[in-house]
Amino acid sequence: MEPAEPPAASQAHTLAERAADDWSSLMARAQDGDRRAYAALLKGVVPYVRALARRLGCETDEIEDAVQDVLLTVHTVRHTYDPARPFAPWLAAIARHRVIDRQRRRFRRLSRETPFLAEHETISADPSNSHEDASERRRLNAAIAALPANQRQAIEMLKLREVSLKAAAAMSGRSETALKVSTHRAIKRLRTLLSGT
Amino acid sequence: MPATDELIAKLSDGLLPVRRLHPPAVRAAVWVLLATAVVVLLAAGRGLRGDIAAMLGEPSYLVQIAAAYLTGIAATVAAFEVSLPHHARAWSLLPAPFLALWLSGFVFGCLGHWIAIPFGAPVVADSVSCLATILAATVPLALVLWIMLRRSSPLRPTRTALLGSLGVAGFADTAHLLIHQVEASSLVLAINIVPVLVILAVGALLGRRGLATAGIT
Repeated sequence: MEPAEPPAASQAHTLAERAADDWSSLMARAQDGDRRAYAALLKGVVPYVRALARRLGCETDEIEDAVQDVLLTVHTVRHTYDPARPFAPWLAAIARHRVIDRQRRRFRRLSRETPFLAEHETISADPSNSHEDASERRRLNAAIAALPANQRQAIEMLKLREVSLKAAAAMSGRSETALKVSTHRAIKRLRTLLSGT
Repeated sequence: MPATDELIAKLSDGLLPVRRLHPPAVRAAVWVLLATAVVVLLAAGRGLRGDIAAMLGEPSYLVQIAAAYLTGIAATVAAFEVSLPHHARAWSLLPAPFLALWLSGFVFGCLGHWIAIPFGAPVVADSVSCLATILAATVPLALVLWIMLRRSSPLRPTRTALLGSLGVAGFADTAHLLIHQVEASSLVLAINIVPVLVILAVGALLGRRGLATAGIT
């Protein structure tokens, strides 16, 4: 006699089966044009596709792109799904194919590219590499200097030093809203000053 | 809203109902019936080969024509199966035994009955007529099959195109064997086998590109 399945494993198995059944019926409804069923299906499969992409060796910063790629493919080929058959293998085949395809393209691209290193620069100092950049920077500095004090303070803290809004509010003693308004006005003013209109 | 959620919202908001594909076996059966009708029409239009009565008693001829026809059927079924995402790649092997039999018919037929072509024999005229038959069968069948396979948006366009081309080549050679008296010379071997290879190459290249744009690769 076979040993009885532990209750937790049996429950997990039942849940997985139920999810697969749900996906199958959601896809069948989506094929008939049910938008809510389709949104529910796509949201439901995202974690599964994400896990698969990770397992197939997708870099962390590429996983979301791979997931979106798979969703677009599912959308394009949704008419090929036969509701009489299980949904998971259909999805897995598409996901695997798309992720591997992405990986292949990425490796091909990387094999053609050479990393840009410090020795590739003629002169490594930043300003020496671009006279245009230096002149732009001078114009920007002059425009910032011409801003009213409140606006200058906001732009320097939030945009140039990239201090968080909360920290900038604490450091300046001004409210977060006041800082946001000053930043907005400063950007508008800078745009006018720099475009010369 | 994160980009993935945004994409889901866009895809589901613009969702339109779709017509589901019929099972691959049904779609393959439709094409096989059509292809058989084309072969019968061609044979009726151009007339069966002069020695057909004698050839029907020749086992090697029967094996070769059956192998060509069965290769056509098996390759077509395999093309429709592999065009779908979740179907096993092993379907690609379905035509292999019939293909082996068909190709061995070309080679052994040629080696066993090697004859010199008599001077002045109407080889060129025959060749042109053979090619005309093969083209008349190939062009409409390939076009219909390509349209039908495009509906699957194949994930494996090259494999699908290659199997589809093999299906077309099998039916084209069936028509050829029914209509033309094939002499076993190297030239005739070339007339038999080269069009098959050309159909496969063109089908794989053009078909792959067309199927890939229909699909997602």
